[in-house]
Amino acid sequence: MAIAKAERLMNLALCLMNTRRPLSKRELRTSVEAYHEVTGEDAFNRMFERDKDDLRELGLIIETVESADGETGYVARRDRNRLPEVSLDAEEAAALALAARVWQQARLAGAASGALQKLRAAGVPFDEGDRAGHSALEPRIPAHEPAFEDLMLAARNRRPVVFDYRKANAARAEQRQVEPWALECWHGHWYLAGWDRARGAARVFRLSRITGKVRSRAGSFTAPVPDHVDVRATVAGWAGESATTTARIRLRRDAGYPLRARALAATRADGEWDELEIPYGHGLDAWLAEFGPDVVVLAPDELRADVLERLRAVAKG
Amino acid sequence: MANAIDQTRRMLSLVTYLRERPGARVSEVARAFGITEAELIGDLNVLPMCGTSFRGGDLLDIDTDGERIWWHNVDDVAQPLRLAADEATALLVAARAVSALPGLREGDREALLRATSKLETAAGESADASSRLSVTFESEGSVFADVDRAVTERRRLWIRYYSPGRDALTEREVDPIRLFTVGHTYFEAWCRLSEDRRTFRLDRVAAIRILDEPSDPPPVELRDLSESLVQPAADDPEVVVEVGPGGRWVAEYYPHDRAEELPDGGLRITLRTPEPGTLKRLALRLGSDGRIVAPQSLAAAARDAARAALAQYGDRV
Repeated sequence: MAIAKAERLMNLALCLMNTRRPLSKRELRTSVEAYHEVTGEDAFNRMFERDKDDLRELGLIIETVESADGETGYVARRDRNRLPEVSLDAEEAAALALAARVWQQARLAGAASGALQKLRAAGVPFDEGDRAGHSALEPRIPAHEPAFEDLMLAARNRRPVVFDYRKANAARAEQRQVEPWALECWHGHWYLAGWDRARGAARVFRLSRITGKVRSRAGSFTAPVPDHVDVRATVAGWAGESATTTARIRLRRDAGYPLRARALAATRADGEWDELEIPYGHGLDAWLAEFGPDVVVLAPDELRADVLERLRAVAKG
Repeated sequence: MANAIDQTRRMLSLVTYLRERPGARVSEVARAFGITEAELIGDLNVLPMCGTSFRGGDLLDIDTDGERIWWHNVDDVAQPLRLAADEATALLVAARAVSALPGLREGDREALLRATSKLETAAGESADASSRLSVTFESEGSVFADVDRAVTERRRLWIRYYSPGRDALTEREVDPIRLFTVGHTYFEAWCRLSEDRRTFRLDRVAAIRILDEPSDPPPVELRDLSESLVQPAADDPEVVVEVGPGGRWVAEYYPHDRAEELPDGGLRITLRTPEPGTLKRLALRLGSDGRIVAPQSLAAAARDAARAALAQYGDRV
């Protein structure tokens, strides 16, 4: 039976961490049993490169050193790989343990529990049982979008990407070349902010509208990365939450609680109607149409026309 | 084999952890590492195959009788390892998201902020990439605090709650079961009005009061929060909606059985819902971006509502 990958990685890590001098690839091949089983120089080289990458993902800093006779040596120096002293009290440890359970995405969930294991090995006192006096909240971060992991890694490593993207009202997807800056989760959906190379401008993308695979591009970023990337402001604008003007509507007395909740002013009108002044942002026409005969738009005319257009489309059937 | 990475990471921490604890109990170590005893035994079967020296033959002499773990040639082979970028990101992003949640107890918030800052220091440059991910949890602060208290103190709640499907407020007494956030914040409770378990979204609670009565929900099996909140039953009525490109968002927001591509770039979406009447609002919102295909009664209800609305503008179709 082939030696399991975890055993091979573990052996490579222990060799690299417990040597005083850099070890050559040849020396590592003789000391890690799993490498004996690999036939062919190319297969071994590919496996060795992948294994080093995997250990680096776990946080290991592996240095490469050229020796006098031109051979490359590898070493994971202790001083550079040691977790600095972390002293957390029981409250702080409990708070972190709560945070570690938040991710539903496999890679980050694994990383979060791995981080806790490292901290625990370093002596941080986690006590799972005691939640008395703490919030009952169970926070979860969803990340169901297939593009999430590739984009997260691309943003982390500052690698340009290319993907097909279908804009909100577009019939077809279009290829976009993007330098990914940051990802943000808002209302349970993930968004990407980055530099759109073809458009020469910053853009925000909704991950669920990416169709097909995210592919990495060679090379590095061409546009400067801003210090602060505000994905939320853009998305909140799409969601109509950055209204600058107001609208006046009539609303049937028992209806439309959420409209009342955000009304700037409300007065009783005649009969069973109230009159409300509400913020007028993107998408208000669609929202008001939902209330059917319980809402009448008074002003502005543009909003009234948009709502009428929607209603006429539905009335035609 | 993504979990070979997780297993390697865990075994490295395990070696550090066991060094300080001769004769550690399998049950306690498994709990401390957040794994099952079977998983731990799996790790303990791999570790004796792992070596510390490139000369070979120098393997970890770790064994277990299934109850306790012994390391016979205990050695300083692995120190507490520095955090990897993904590990720091997973914990920091989650901790920042939870600490910014409106309504969280001050004690919890302060502990999270202190832990976050200590972790940032300990992670060093591994923390840099954590600024490229962020998460905002939505919550209504005052409602959150009351629900949180009711869950931990096991008290009954009175709420006035808005149902968007019916555009109506109802008053009910509920016995809260759990408080959770997945983008939006929700609580699950036994609803004494409908005599069933219900999920309530915090921003739809119009009024809330903690009652003196203890909460007494019947025992219920907690659901897996990684699954969709809306789980239609197999015998719920089917609704078919056809949308144009501008209505594709429906497939992102409504759990559905099928979404078939249409030639114009739209979708034919088939979904099930216990109350098809609540989708009348969707039809009104869609306007010319989509229409209800089935059932006929729902399509007719939307048409009638649109006509009644138009009549109030003096508009005839």
